[in-house]
Amino acid sequence: MALAALRKFWPFYVMLLPGVVFYLVFRYFPMYGMVIAFKDFSMMDGILHSPWANPWYKHFETFYQSPYFGELLRNTLLISLYKLVWGTIPPILLALLLNECRIRWLRSIVQTLTYMPHFLSWVIIFGILIALFSQNGGIVNRWLVEAGGSSYPFLTSTETFRSVLVGSEVWQNLGWGAIIYLAAIAGIDPTLYEAARVDGASRLRMIWHITIPGIRSVIVLLFILKLGHLLDAGFDQIYILYNIQVYPVADILDTWVYRTGLQQLNFSLASAVGLFKSLIGMALVLFANNVAKRWGEGIW
Amino acid sequence: MVKGLEDRLFNVLVYAVLVFCALLAIFPILYVISVSITPFGEVLRNGGFILIPRDVTFSAYKTLLTQSNLPQAFKVTVLITVVGTAVNLILTGLMAYPLSRKNLPGRRIFLLMIVFTLIFSGGLIPTYLIVKSVGLIDSIWAMILPNAIWSFNVLIMKSFFEGLPEELFESARIDGAKEFRILFQIVTPLSVPVIMTIGLFYLVGHWNEFFQAIFYVTDRTLFPLQVIVREILMQSQQTLENADNITPTQTLQMASVMIASLPVLVVYPFIQKYFTKGMLLGSIKG
Amino acid sequence: MSSKSIKRTALLSSIALLGAVVSGCGNGGDSEASSSPSNSPSSSSSASNPASTDAATPQATADSGKKIKLEVIETGNNLPAPDQDIIKKELDKALNVDFNLTVYASGDDYKNQLNVRMASGNFPDLFALDRQQLIEFSKQGLLLDLTPYMDRLKQASEFIGEENVKKGAVDGKIYAISKSSQIPYNTYFIRKDWLDSLNLEVPKTIEDLKTVAAAFTNDDPDKNGKKDTFGLTGGELNGAFAPVFGAFGVGSPGSIYEKDGKLMNALYDPAMKDALAFIKEMIDTGSVDPELLANTALQHQEKAFKGQAGIVWIDWPNMTKENMIEQIKAVNPKAEWIQMEPPAGPAGKFDGSWEIGNTPGRYAIPKALEKDPEKLQRVFDLLNYVSDPKGGSLLVQFGVEGTHFTKDGDKIVMTDKAGEVGYSWLYQFTGRPEMSYLQTKFVPQAEFIKFANDQPRIQTLNGFVDLPEGYVASDADRYIKEELAKFAYGQRDLGEYDKFLKTLETTMKYKLFMDAAQAQLTALGYGNK
Repeated sequence: MALAALRKFWPFYVMLLPGVVFYLVFRYFPMYGMVIAFKDFSMMDGILHSPWANPWYKHFETFYQSPYFGELLRNTLLISLYKLVWGTIPPILLALLLNECRIRWLRSIVQTLTYMPHFLSWVIIFGILIALFSQNGGIVNRWLVEAGGSSYPFLTSTETFRSVLVGSEVWQNLGWGAIIYLAAIAGIDPTLYEAARVDGASRLRMIWHITIPGIRSVIVLLFILKLGHLLDAGFDQIYILYNIQVYPVADILDTWVYRTGLQQLNFSLASAVGLFKSLIGMALVLFANNVAKRWGEGIW
Repeated sequence: MVKGLEDRLFNVLVYAVLVFCALLAIFPILYVISVSITPFGEVLRNGGFILIPRDVTFSAYKTLLTQSNLPQAFKVTVLITVVGTAVNLILTGLMAYPLSRKNLPGRRIFLLMIVFTLIFSGGLIPTYLIVKSVGLIDSIWAMILPNAIWSFNVLIMKSFFEGLPEELFESARIDGAKEFRILFQIVTPLSVPVIMTIGLFYLVGHWNEFFQAIFYVTDRTLFPLQVIVREILMQSQQTLENADNITPTQTLQMASVMIASLPVLVVYPFIQKYFTKGMLLGSIKG
Repeated sequence: MSSKSIKRTALLSSIALLGAVVSGCGNGGDSEASSSPSNSPSSSSSASNPASTDAATPQATADSGKKIKLEVIETGNNLPAPDQDIIKKELDKALNVDFNLTVYASGDDYKNQLNVRMASGNFPDLFALDRQQLIEFSKQGLLLDLTPYMDRLKQASEFIGEENVKKGAVDGKIYAISKSSQIPYNTYFIRKDWLDSLNLEVPKTIEDLKTVAAAFTNDDPDKNGKKDTFGLTGGELNGAFAPVFGAFGVGSPGSIYEKDGKLMNALYDPAMKDALAFIKEMIDTGSVDPELLANTALQHQEKAFKGQAGIVWIDWPNMTKENMIEQIKAVNPKAEWIQMEPPAGPAGKFDGSWEIGNTPGRYAIPKALEKDPEKLQRVFDLLNYVSDPKGGSLLVQFGVEGTHFTKDGDKIVMTDKAGEVGYSWLYQFTGRPEMSYLQTKFVPQAEFIKFANDQPRIQTLNGFVDLPEGYVASDADRYIKEELAKFAYGQRDLGEYDKFLKTLETTMKYKLFMDAAQAQLTALGYGNK
């Protein structure tokens, strides 16, 4: 049986070979590094020969016992969930709208322009945010004052900071995120639309019954993969944008690990938190994939 | 003609939203461009925010382009982008196609293995050790091979391949086509949109290459563009109490961003035409 | 392409990768730290002669005479490509080396990179590191103990001075060469033209400061008819109010200093509450930058340049160098910034704190270099060479004599080509005689340099304190910053200050730090008067 399968499928396994080798070398071989979460890592002894932590959960405990543990977890989950929701829907909408756009040049221009912000690093976006929202001299605040209102500290208020995080990320990734859906739409069989048109279906109906089902598998796939990174709320962005006044709403696991683990050379702590995040991410992916399978989707 | 009216209203709505999105994106871009060609004093005089350049000068660009490190870094980046993307696409395609065959024994295991690496990683130190023992430190390949396949892209490509009509493969096999031939002569031309998309992801990834460069490369002549740009950007992020340090002005920062991203911005419109609805599938079938 | 050739290429590439796995496993991947770190061709030449001590003249060293590759890493920027790097070429010639310096613009990137390389046994020959890394690396036996080699580093240690040699020590052994000391750069700068337009004097006391700041906010100093200015800005609380803390005799929050012969932590200083109360009063008048606490990097400077703020606590290079003046004048040709003395308060006047335990930088040599005496000698030669006041030090300070500077007797004058080697500070591994260096290189700023240096400051000692086990500094730092901000902005009543200290000591384990600091500083002879 196995031999028969091999005879039938061998070309596929040959195709897989280079990729499998890559995964073994650069992804699976280094996995042993995860053990430093349970060790007191010493650079001289190396990963395998460092002494075991006593008790084995020592570094997890350090993390759990931080006075900020609860807050960090809450912030991470909240920011990440907001980003998940707001980051998923707008790019899909943009892709649908671009697909409905009958004016070629407009489609092309909008597509190119919305793609650009992806290439601005957070340092630059931070500069733009200051120019727009700073309490002294930011454009938006100048308008507010001129309109008779008073200025508002958008960037330093715990009320608005998360919105700034989510908003700027959605803005940055709107056009970039739409690309993949556009590619998916391009793969839909055009005869389906022709048939619907003959039946007199409206464009909204066609979107609902042809386009969206046509890209459903990509939407599900991306959603599941994003769930796997639910505990990554966006280190680069927050690290550059946050300040002491908004720590209570903005400090996340990764920023804390960065300040505590890496700056103070505690690799074991960083690794322990990383493992914690990964375990939760994996559980979410397994769960989501099982749910998706019931709808006939799912990664495997 | 109720339908015509409805259609036109719908169009107007679509255009309005699209124009809104474009405006949202264009203001900050205008800002970056304008600052990059306006003397910094002039920028400050206008409260730090300008949309229309004044007193236009290209001195920031001149400073950057004559800076000795930049042309070399540019060459390195082009090299790793071209070679890297080619390697990526071949390896990713070879992996995604078999995994899109739902009856392949062991498929589930392979997919789980791929998803697992998306979430778990051994960390920087063991990865560095493997890159070192493979002998890649201080070579161009250190910026290509350790990320030769992105799991994310394999899964996307596989998902697209799954969407191809099954009859296509059956008829090809009946004609006696071998699997490699099916992949390269039938599947590939039908999958241009996804290949372009994934190719763009890889290309942009390589163009923005920075992380592996600073870890695996110490030879200054092998630094890619983004290392140089980051140098300019990060300088403004720290107050080095250093009298010798010349903090780059915002003008210079923005110019560096423009130089570094212009080539990838220009690429995109050329790729867009492959996203036109059903173009390829239709042409093959018709 | 035929399917056959495709198969072959696929096979070939997988074989290549497979070979890589095997070699990776063979090495164990992990015990790298013990293998030879050097991949330069010359490291195999073990026939070296360590018997050279005449450090100042490296040419005299009796060695194999081979050109040796030296790899040095540190933070920095603007280093030119090697073929255009004049300093590198000069050093290569003088020391018979192939010098490979790599600099990283971001301190964080650098730190991560160094950590990973140290953990992986791929050591550079000389590298910059911070105190925390110095302690950690030396504890793990990764650094070369320089104590027995000090006689071969005579020139370097004389150059930096005994005080600074000690700063490279951990548990009595010297593991790093510190740079020679810096001098303070920061003072308050104030808009002279704004003072004039409102007929005000330069503030002499903190009360004056409060009045002037308020006037800058309310009386339209730029006469544009809009209320769009404010008095004071700076980098966070600590930056903007450093001289105010000083006026109360308090060091910057968290710092440790001697007061009346005893060790004192600023947070426990009885005057701290008074200082915070005064700061709160000032903030309440609305004359302080509302986004003070979010000022990272140089945002406060930008606010000053834009004409939004009239007083800023900042360093002279960022206010008075030619390109800065140019920007200031572009915004407003009449703008004139002058330095001012710290305003006086109940405890006199101090222009903030000045850390004496710190050093502008330190460099260590990996222990593994022990096995390569010839190369080690070249590293020593390098350190000695850049410390030779008549030779190499001039090179790394000012460039090549005759091209970038000329000597007028003892006086050094920069030529108009000096800009070519503006990056030479990257090569000042042992520092420089700060005052004379700055006075030579920054002639138009000479007055500002001297003024900043002359201001009295509270000398803090935190640089001498190593953090104790179990104390999570980042959590405590965050708590201190957050709560002090609340006190200053009136979100928490100052009556609760003692409660704040209590929480800090227990929940944030600050007690551990306090005890460690006390013990370590006492051992160094501080606070015993």
